Amino acid sequence: MQVVFNIPGPLRQFTENRSSVRVEVKAGADLREAMVALFAACPGLRDRVLTETGETRQHVNIFVTNENIRYTGGLATLVSEGAEVSIVPAISGG
Amino acid sequence: MIGQTLDHYKILAQIGEGGMGVVYRARDEVLNRDVALKLLGRGAADKVGTGHLLHEARTASSLSHPNICTIHQVGQTENDFYVVMELIEGRLLSDLIVSTGLSTETVIRYGAQIADALAHAHDRGIAHRDLKSSNVMVTLEGRVKVLDFGLATRLEREGMSELTLSYDALESKLVGTLPYMAPEVLRGQKGDHLSDLWALGVLLYEAAAGKLPFVGKTGFEISSAILRQPPPPLPATVPYGLAAIIQRCLMKERGERYQRASELRSALEALQGAALQSRRSSEETRGPLALVLRGMEHLAVKNGDVLLLVGTNKGAFLLRSSRDRTRWDVAGPYFHGQGVYAMAYDGRTGRNRLWVSTNSPMWGTFLRASDDFGRIWTNPLEASIRFPTESGASLRNIWQICLGRADEPDMLYCGVEPAALFESRDAGESWSLVRGLYEHPHRPRWMTSNGGLILHTIVPDPGNKERMYAAVSAGGTYRTEDGGKTWQARNNGVRVMFMPERYPEFGQCVHKIVLHESRPERLFLQNHWGLYRSDNHGDSWQDIARGVPSDFGFAMLMHPRDADCVYILPVESDEFRCTPEGHLRVYRTRNAGGSWEALKRGLPQKGAYETVLRDGMSTDSLDPVGIYFGTRSGKLYGSKDEGKSWEKLIEGLPQILCVKAAVIQLDGAPAVRPSLKSKPAPRVKTPRTKRVRRRIRH
Repeated sequence: MQVVFNIPGPLRQFTENRSSVRVEVKAGADLREAMVALFAACPGLRDRVLTETGETRQHVNIFVTNENIRYTGGLATLVSEGAEVSIVPAISGG
Repeated sequence: MIGQTLDHYKILAQIGEGGMGVVYRARDEVLNRDVALKLLGRGAADKVGTGHLLHEARTASSLSHPNICTIHQVGQTENDFYVVMELIEGRLLSDLIVSTGLSTETVIRYGAQIADALAHAHDRGIAHRDLKSSNVMVTLEGRVKVLDFGLATRLEREGMSELTLSYDALESKLVGTLPYMAPEVLRGQKGDHLSDLWALGVLLYEAAAGKLPFVGKTGFEISSAILRQPPPPLPATVPYGLAAIIQRCLMKERGERYQRASELRSALEALQGAALQSRRSSEETRGPLALVLRGMEHLAVKNGDVLLLVGTNKGAFLLRSSRDRTRWDVAGPYFHGQGVYAMAYDGRTGRNRLWVSTNSPMWGTFLRASDDFGRIWTNPLEASIRFPTESGASLRNIWQICLGRADEPDMLYCGVEPAALFESRDAGESWSLVRGLYEHPHRPRWMTSNGGLILHTIVPDPGNKERMYAAVSAGGTYRTEDGGKTWQARNNGVRVMFMPERYPEFGQCVHKIVLHESRPERLFLQNHWGLYRSDNHGDSWQDIARGVPSDFGFAMLMHPRDADCVYILPVESDEFRCTPEGHLRVYRTRNAGGSWEALKRGLPQKGAYETVLRDGMSTDSLDPVGIYFGTRSGKLYGSKDEGKSWEKLIEGLPQILCVKAAVIQLDGAPAVRPSLKSKPAPRVKTPRTKRVRRRIRH
C-alpha cells in the first residue's frame, strides 16, 4: 500500500524539492515502517526528524491525517492505505 | 521455545526464520540487554559439521564494523547450536526493494556501506559467501548492517549436486542464495572475496532495477543464466556510472571484476560525489535553498587577511580585513535562524577550512565545513556526531570545535551537550565518542548548569599527546594522561558556591581554561565565581583574583606570544550577568595573575550593561596582536594594539555566542588543497542575490 508524507519547506532540500513523497509499504504497516521507507527514499530526513535514539524531535510534530501521533501511540501508530502523514515544525523560537 | 532459557538467554519472541534456522529476540539476563539469538536447525549443523559451523561463527565474531551485525557469542547445548547477535531494529533490504527499484542515491549509499563491510572482513581473511538482500538489514537510522558473515559456509555446496531439482525444492537448502552465486561457485569452487563482489553486484542490480538479474523456473535455469548469459540491461533510469559499476561486478571472468572491495567502495563513493554534483545543479535551477542562507555576496579572502568567525543565536557571520585591520567586509547571516555555538578555522597543512556547528530548534544539530570561505558548505545527510544507540543519549548541541595539535593535523575534537567529548582522527570525516570520559563514574552526579549539562572547553596539551583537559558545566575540570582512556577530576582548590561543601572533588562550574604552548604546565581558569591559576597541570589551583571588579565572568583569552598575559571580561554576578556598573572593560594581566589592569579606551563606560559569553573573545596572531569580542547585545569590538584601545566593528547582530579570529595563509597551500569528501554532502551552493556585503571602516 502507499503512504504519502507531506514535507515542510525547510526539509525539501532532501526531497528534490517535492512537497510530498509517496512511499510503498506493506499492508498493516505502522508509522515506523513507513518512515523507514521514507528515509530510504530521502536519507537526509532521518536525522532531522528523529533523534539518534529514534524519537521524534522535541519541536517536530507528526500528524497521521489530522491526529498528532503523540496521542495515538507515537511511531507505532498504524497507517492505512493512502494515509497522509504530515511532518510539521512545532511552535518554537526564541 | 518462547519462554525457555538457553544458557543465560531467555527466549522472548520469534522474529524471523530462514534456511539457516530460526531467529528469536532474547534477553541476555547477565548483561540485561535484548539480543538476537539464531538457533540453527540440528539438521543443518549435522550436515556441515557442528565443529565447522562453530569455527566459522567464531571467526566471524572477530569482526567489528559499523556495517556488520556484531556476533556476541556462539555456543551449543546438548541439542542446540546457537549464535547470539546484536539485535538490529530495522527492515531487511529485500523488503525495502520495490518493483521499480530504489533511488540511485540510495543504491549507491547502501552499496558503499556494504562494500566497506566486505573490505573490512576481506582484510581479515573472512569472506561472507552468502551475501544477498535478505542478509542485509537497514536500520531506522538508515545504516546498513550485513548479517550472517561466514555462516553460510558449505551449505551452498551441498546444493550443487541437486541443481536439477526445482527451485522450490532447492529453497529449503539455498534459501534465495542461488541467484547471487558467482559462476565459479556454481562450478564447485569455494566462495571467496571475489565471489562476494559478484554477489554484491547482483544485490546492486536488484536494488537498482527492482528485480534479480538472473532468473529462471528451476535451479538449472538460474545457474545456466549465471554461467552463460549477460545480465539484462538495467532500466534507463539507472545512470551510466552505476550501471558500469554493476556490470564490472558481474563479469563472469574473475580477473575482470574489481579485485578488492575497497576499489568497489571507492568507485561508488566517486559516483556518490558526482551524483550529488549533478543534483546540486538541478537544485540551483529551482531556486534558493532556504536552509543555508539568504543571498549575499561572499567574502573575497586574500593571503594574510584577518578573518573573524562570529556565531550568533540566529546564524553565523564572517568578517574580513587586510592586515591593517581598519576596514572590515561583512558577510552573513549564514545558516539563517540557527544557533551557531561553535566555529573554528583549520589552517593546518594548507587547508583553509571553516567549521561551524548549527543548531536548529526543530531539525537538530549538525557539523558543517566550508573550504572556500563560506561559498559552499557541507550539508550532511546524516549527523556525523551521534551518541551510540546503547547510550540512550541524543545530541542536543555542539558547544565547541577544537583543533588537535599542529603535528596531528587530522585530529579534531568536539564538546557537546549532553556533556561528552567526541574525537575525529580523519579531519572530521568520522567521529567517535570518547568513552573514558562519558563513562566516568562521576558523570551521574554532574549537575546541569544554566546552559545545560555541557562540555565546552577542550585543551590538548601541546607537547604531550597523551595529556588533555576537558571541562564540564557543572562537573569541573578533568585531565587524561593516557590519550583519553581514563580521566581524573582536577579541581583541587577551586571553590563552588552552590553546594554545602565548598571544595568538592568535582562538580565545579568551569567557564573557560587557557594555556600557553610554551608553558603547558600552567593553566588559567575562569570559573563560575573565581579566577585561578595552576602551575602543575591542574593538580592544584590558586586564586588570582586580585584587582578585578568581580571574579565572575565567562570569557578568558591567552595572548598568543606572551605566556604571562591573559585577558578576561568580568561580569557582576551569576544573578546579574552584566558588566559591573555599566562599564564595559576588558581586564589584562601581564604577570600571570599577579595583578590586573582595566582596558577601556574606546569602550562605553556608561550604561553599557553587556555580557560576553565563554567563547565570545578571540585573538589574531599579528604583531601587535588583535583582540576581538562580541556581546550578547550583538556588538562586536576589536583592538589592533593588544587591548590598549578599542573600536566597535559592527553592531546590530543577533546575540553573539562565539568569536574566532584567524590570519589566513594562502601561500603555503598546496596546489590541490585537501578537499572535503562528498560523503557528508550534498553541499549547498549559496545563491547570489542583489544584496551586497556591507563594508565598514574604522
